[in-house]
Amino acid sequence: MSAQAKLLTAVALLIAVGGGMAAYKSAKLGVPFWEGERVDEWIVEAKVSFLATGRDVKARLALPAQAEERGRGQESGSLDYSYNTENDRGEYTAVWSSGPREDGQALYYRVRFQQGLTSGGEPKPAFEKPSAPEVPRLPGSLGAAAQSIVTRAKNVSADPDSLFVTLFKQINSVEASQEYLIVKRHYEKDGTANPEITMGIELLGLAGVPARLAYGVLLSEDYTGQPPVPLIEYYDGAFWKVRDPSDPSKIPDGRELFVWHRGGGSLLDVTGGENSRVTFTVAKDRIPLATLTNLRDSPLLVSTILALPVSERAVFRYIVLIPLGAFIVVLLRNIVGISTLGTFMPVLLALALLELPLVQGLVMFSVLVACGLWFRFLLSRMNLLVVPRVAACVVIVTLLMMLMGVLSFQLGFSVGIKITLFPMIIIAWTLERMSLIWEQEGKRNAIIQVAGSVFVAVCAYHFMKVSQIQYWAFYFPELLLILLAGILLIGRYTGYRLSELIRFKSFSNA
Amino acid sequence: MPDATVIEDEETVTATHRWWHRWFRTPGELRELGVVGINMRNARFLLPNNPRRLYELVDNKLRTKALAEEHGMNVAETYGVVRTPHDANKVDKMLGGNESFVIKPTRGSGGKGVIVIDGKNGKNFVKPSGTELTPGDLRNHVSNILAGLFSLAGKRDYALIEYRVHPAALLTALSFQGAPDIRVVMLHGYPVMAMLRASTKESDGRSNLHQGALGIGIDIATGITVRAIHHGRLVSIHPDLDIDLIGVQIPEWDTILQMSVTCQEMTGLGYLGVDIMIDETKGPLMIEVNARPGLAIQMANGIGLMKRLEPVVAQHLRRPNADLAAKIAFSKAHFCAKLPPMRP
Repeated sequence: MSAQAKLLTAVALLIAVGGGMAAYKSAKLGVPFWEGERVDEWIVEAKVSFLATGRDVKARLALPAQAEERGRGQESGSLDYSYNTENDRGEYTAVWSSGPREDGQALYYRVRFQQGLTSGGEPKPAFEKPSAPEVPRLPGSLGAAAQSIVTRAKNVSADPDSLFVTLFKQINSVEASQEYLIVKRHYEKDGTANPEITMGIELLGLAGVPARLAYGVLLSEDYTGQPPVPLIEYYDGAFWKVRDPSDPSKIPDGRELFVWHRGGGSLLDVTGGENSRVTFTVAKDRIPLATLTNLRDSPLLVSTILALPVSERAVFRYIVLIPLGAFIVVLLRNIVGISTLGTFMPVLLALALLELPLVQGLVMFSVLVACGLWFRFLLSRMNLLVVPRVAACVVIVTLLMMLMGVLSFQLGFSVGIKITLFPMIIIAWTLERMSLIWEQEGKRNAIIQVAGSVFVAVCAYHFMKVSQIQYWAFYFPELLLILLAGILLIGRYTGYRLSELIRFKSFSNA
Repeated sequence: MPDATVIEDEETVTATHRWWHRWFRTPGELRELGVVGINMRNARFLLPNNPRRLYELVDNKLRTKALAEEHGMNVAETYGVVRTPHDANKVDKMLGGNESFVIKPTRGSGGKGVIVIDGKNGKNFVKPSGTELTPGDLRNHVSNILAGLFSLAGKRDYALIEYRVHPAALLTALSFQGAPDIRVVMLHGYPVMAMLRASTKESDGRSNLHQGALGIGIDIATGITVRAIHHGRLVSIHPDLDIDLIGVQIPEWDTILQMSVTCQEMTGLGYLGVDIMIDETKGPLMIEVNARPGLAIQMANGIGLMKRLEPVVAQHLRRPNADLAAKIAFSKAHFCAKLPPMRP
C-alpha cells in the first residue's frame, strides 16, 4: 500500500470512528450535539475529606432529602468503602464505613437536578410540634439586653416570619443598637464558627420560635470546593422554613441556592478520622440525566469525561483544548506559513491567556518580555553559560511578576494578582529563545517570530474560546479524532504556504 | 547607489505582469514557474530521500569531514577539536603557530556560533572586521559552544578549530568582507542548481540571504554567474562594492561539481546542498553538507526548482545506477542557463 493510500485509509478510519461515536452518542443516547439544545442540569458534588487515623472509619454525611425521595440522580463514589443510606423519618444520611485506614481519604456524593426547580428550602410540615425551644442562659446584663431585643422585635412583628426578618436585619446591620452589639460581642468571644447565626438562633429561641442550623450550596460554577453555606430553619407554628440569614427577607431561590441539609442534626460526622470537612463543587451539566444513566452503562463511557468526579473533571476543561490549539498551530504554520518561536509555545501562551482577559494578558506578556529581554542583555555581558543564564532569567521573571502584581494592586487592577498564574516558564523560555535569535539572526527575525507566536496564540485563543467548540471538545472528545484526521491531511499538504505567495512575488523567469 | 543597481527584467515583466504581482503571486502562477515551496520540498524530496539516520553524518561536521577525507576530498584542515572545558585552555597549542583560524560548533547550522580570526595583535585575536577578542572572550565562546548554545536542539557539542579559508581573489572581489561560498543543490546525485552567496555590508560578513546577503545564480553547465538577487530583487551590481556580479566564471567549476556529487555518494542523502569555498592556494574545499537546503536558490537562478527536479526524477528512474561522470554530463546538458555576455 502506498503512503498515500495508508494516509487516506487512516483518515477515513479516524473520521468514521470519531464521527460514528459522536453520531451514536447524539442520536441514540440523546446527548445534545449543539450547545444551544442542552438541558441545563446542575450537578452538585459533596467531597468529604479527612485524615484517617488508622482505626475503623465511619463517615456520615447528611443528604438532601429531596434528592433521595424523588429518586433523582444521586450516587456516591469511594474506593473500597461500604456505602448505604439511612432514612430517619425523612432525613437521609449517607454512611460510608470501612476497616482501619490511614492518610487522606476522599468520599464523593453527587446529586443532580434540573435548574430552576425548587431549592429544597420550601416550608415543610413538622412531623410533630417541636417542643418549646430551650431558653439560652445568658449571664446577668446580657440576659437583660437579649430580653429587651426580643421584646422590641416582637412588638414590631406580627409572626415568626417577620420576627426573623427584624432580628437578622438588626444583626447584619452595621449600625445596630447598643444591646445588639453587647450580645454579639458575647457570641463572638464564645468562639463559635458562625457567631451571628448562633446568636440569631438563640434569640429566636428566646422569643419562643424554634430554630436550627441548615446548610446550603451556592449554585455557581465559579468556586471549586466551596464550604457549605450556613442557613437557618425556623418553625412558624405550622411549617419549618429555611432562610438565608444574610438576606433575611428573601425566600431561597432555586436558581441560586440549593438547600443541602435541613432538619437539625449535624452535616458531617467522621469517626476514625480527623480534620474532616465537606466541600461542594457545582457544575452545570449539559447531558440530560436519563441519558446519562444509559451512558454510564455503555462502553462509550470511556470516551466521556463524565465518569470522573466533578472536581477532577474541571481540569479537563483545559486539557481538551490543547489539541485544538495544536491544530491551529499546524494550520497557521504549514498552510499560512507564520513563523513562531518553537512549535507549541503559542499553544501554551494561548492557554495562559485563557486565564485572564486577553488585552491585559497581552500587555502583561509584552511588558514582561520587554523587561526580561533588557535584563537578559545585561546578563549576556557577563558571558554566563547557558543553564545558569536560563535560571537567572527565571529568577528575574519571577521578581518582575511579583513587582507587576504589587504595582497593579496598588493601582487598583485586579489582573495583576492573577498574573502569578501566568505560566512563568513560558515567559522565561520565550526570553531565552528570543534573545538567542536576536543575537544570531538579528532583531528583525526575533521580533517577527515573537509577533508570529503571539498572533498564532491569539488565533488559538479565539478558537478555543468559542463555547460551541469547548462544548464539543468536552462532551464529544471523540471528535478530536476528526481533528487528528485533519492534522494528518495537513501533514501531507504539499501546496504553497500563503507566506510563500508573497515571498516569491518577485520571482521572475531567467 | 543601491537603488541604481535594481534592474527590471523587461521581457518577463512586460509579458505577464498583473496588478497583484506587487503583493503576491497566485499558486497557479507559482506552479507554472515550477517554484517549490517548503511543504513540497519536505514532503516530496526531503522525507522520501533523506532517511533520518543519515542526518547524523551531516549534522556533525567532524563526521562529515572524516567521511570527505576518506573519499579523497579537499576539506579545511582541522587544527584541533575542543571536547572538554579543560581543553579550552589548549587552544593555543592546537593552533601550532597558525595565526588565522575559524572556530565553529560541530553541530551548528546556518553559520551560528562561527568565529573567524584573521590574525593576532599581541595576545588578542583579531576578527576580519577589525574587532579584537581577548583570550578570555575566546574561551567563553568555546565554552558556550561546548554547552550546546549553538547546536541543533541545544545538545552538548564540541568546538572545531580549523583552517581559515582565504577565498580566491576573484571571489573576494564579489563580497563585502566575509568569504563567499558556493551552494550546489542536488537530487539523487545530479547537480540541479547552484548559487554563490556573497555578503554585503548589511549582512555583516554572513552569507544568509534573508540577512541581506546576495544570492548569485550560477549556470550548472559552465559555472558562469547568470543572475543576482538582493532581498528578492534582481540586481546586477554589488550594492556596496560597485562591481559587476553577472558573467563571472567560477574557477575550477568541474572540480566543484565532482566534489558535490561525491558528497552525495558518501552521505547517501537523496536531496542535499553542498557548501564549497574556493581557497586561493588549496582550491575548492568542502565546507559542509546540508540535508535541508533552503529555497532561495531558485530565486537567485530565476528558475523554479521543480523544472530541474522533475527531469532528474525521471532520469533517475531510467538509469538508477548512473555514475558520477554520467550524472554531471546529464546535468550539464539539461541545466544550462541563457548565458549573459561574458565579462571582458
